[in-house]
Amino acid sequence: MSEAAVLEQGAKASTMRPLVWAAVAIGLLVLCAAPLGISSYWLRVLTTVLMYVIVTQGLNVIVGITGYHAFGNGVFFGIGAYACGTAMVAGLPFVAGIALAIVMSAVCAFILGWPILRLKGHYFAIATVALNLAAVQIIIQIGGITGGAQGLALPLSDWDPKPLYIALYYLMLGGAVASTAIVAILLKRPLGFALRAIRDSERAAAVMGINTTKAKVYAWAISAGLTGFAGGVWAYWITFIEPSSAFDPAVGVKAYIMLIIGGMGSILGPVIGAFVLEIVSTLVWSGFLKAHQLILGLLIVVVCIVAPNGIINAFARLVRSVRRNDGAA
Amino acid sequence: MALLEGRNLTIKFGGVLALDGVSFGVEAGQIFGVIGPNGAGKTTLLNAISSVYKLDGGSISFAGEDVTNVPSYQLSQLGVARTFQIVQPFNHMTVRENVTVGAMYGHARLRQRNEYLDAADEALERVGLIAKAHFMPPHLTLSDRKRLEVARALAMQPRLLLLDEVMAGLNLTEIERMIDLVREINAAGMTVIVIEHVMKAVLALCHRAMVLNFGRKLTEGLPHDVVNEPAVIEAYLGTRFAKTRTGSAA
Repeated sequence: MSEAAVLEQGAKASTMRPLVWAAVAIGLLVLCAAPLGISSYWLRVLTTVLMYVIVTQGLNVIVGITGYHAFGNGVFFGIGAYACGTAMVAGLPFVAGIALAIVMSAVCAFILGWPILRLKGHYFAIATVALNLAAVQIIIQIGGITGGAQGLALPLSDWDPKPLYIALYYLMLGGAVASTAIVAILLKRPLGFALRAIRDSERAAAVMGINTTKAKVYAWAISAGLTGFAGGVWAYWITFIEPSSAFDPAVGVKAYIMLIIGGMGSILGPVIGAFVLEIVSTLVWSGFLKAHQLILGLLIVVVCIVAPNGIINAFARLVRSVRRNDGAA
Repeated sequence: MALLEGRNLTIKFGGVLALDGVSFGVEAGQIFGVIGPNGAGKTTLLNAISSVYKLDGGSISFAGEDVTNVPSYQLSQLGVARTFQIVQPFNHMTVRENVTVGAMYGHARLRQRNEYLDAADEALERVGLIAKAHFMPPHLTLSDRKRLEVARALAMQPRLLLLDEVMAGLNLTEIERMIDLVREINAAGMTVIVIEHVMKAVLALCHRAMVLNFGRKLTEGLPHDVVNEPAVIEAYLGTRFAKTRTGSAA
């Protein structure tokens, strides 16, 4: 790319900013108003989408920004669900359950991170998968207040179902906005610079004064806290949790696909990825009851081929090339 | 007292002694050259100093403090910065962001936004990359990427700068510019260790030079004296050439 082209690209990226803000504002308004005009079925779909925005942003912090492929990050979803569930069964209010879900997940990542984050590349990825498997065993063996293999029924709310589900929708929406804001702020802070440096060259990051292990542990704790929040709210929403559903590896895998589809390391990529995949998979599921997994799989493969760096980057490239052609004409 | 002192530095890779009891001292304000044929242990020495490799023996002190096997990040916070022979830019960050990392986390540890941005721009200005501050590193030429390595190190505001073959792969004009840059940096008061194959640069820059061969220290002295020593010529060009050289000189 010539010097002029790069300069131009920088200038055009800044003219895009108001457009992006406008799109975000409109999207938020629509999401805020949505519960007024949609069926309870679509309310459930959208709540799931927003839950996955949070889980995917959590994954974005450790995978997209830091470059550490935590395949088993779903473990923190389960830890959050069980922290909230056991706290509420023990008589604590929902708010305390959620706080505990965040703190427990973050603390677990903090403690496990010191040894595990010293592993590089696929060794780290495998270790996180092992964590997920271990967590299921631990919950089953503890039994007692976790309910063990029989699962755990959370206390029912005294709210009517409709306002309760709307409240939980707004809670997920708040979480999705907060997690996206956390990623945006993180990218501007020195810690975000350190994490991106680690992703590109850990060795150079270390000799430039970054305590790489500490930075990675912080990143994973933030990632786990976000994922744990989503798990905690989910537990209360679903009211009955068991090890196989709370620690379902599919949660982490789905978030991973959303992150890839949307765009790793970007602020809005995970949001786009979660919306596109969850809504498309819902539509495919309702349209092709017998072959929906097959069709969804094909769609994912196509997106990965057409937009290997995620929808958000493909879109940015498209805008750039359209504008360049305009300039030439 | 020397700013940096290495005593009996030893590093083994399996059965191979990559560094075999190398001792040296670098005075504050010097440009200290490390030369030697391929595989002599120059880069290994630099990796040992910057704590990228752990020592199997020996000790290092920096500014009177024992820094043997302290983690790399602590060493850079104390004021040791280095570049990599095979450049290691952060490819998904702009040139300015690359350099900003140095200002944030190096010796300076600047945490105010205007402070670290100013320090980054000053470093970019010094190496002549300010006009390309918003470029992504893969779009830079090799010469510019080597300058980026130097700028990142400068933004750390170190007391000792380790340059690992910053001239390698550059053309003659680029080498001249790099020599001027290193000289300016040193004139501003920074101690520099250069590892270099480009002999012209070593002779032009260094106050003292040390020659390594097969992981051992061959000799140390003034650059012009060192390169004329028969043992050094032999290490580079073989025994026969060394004999004819010294024979004709006698």
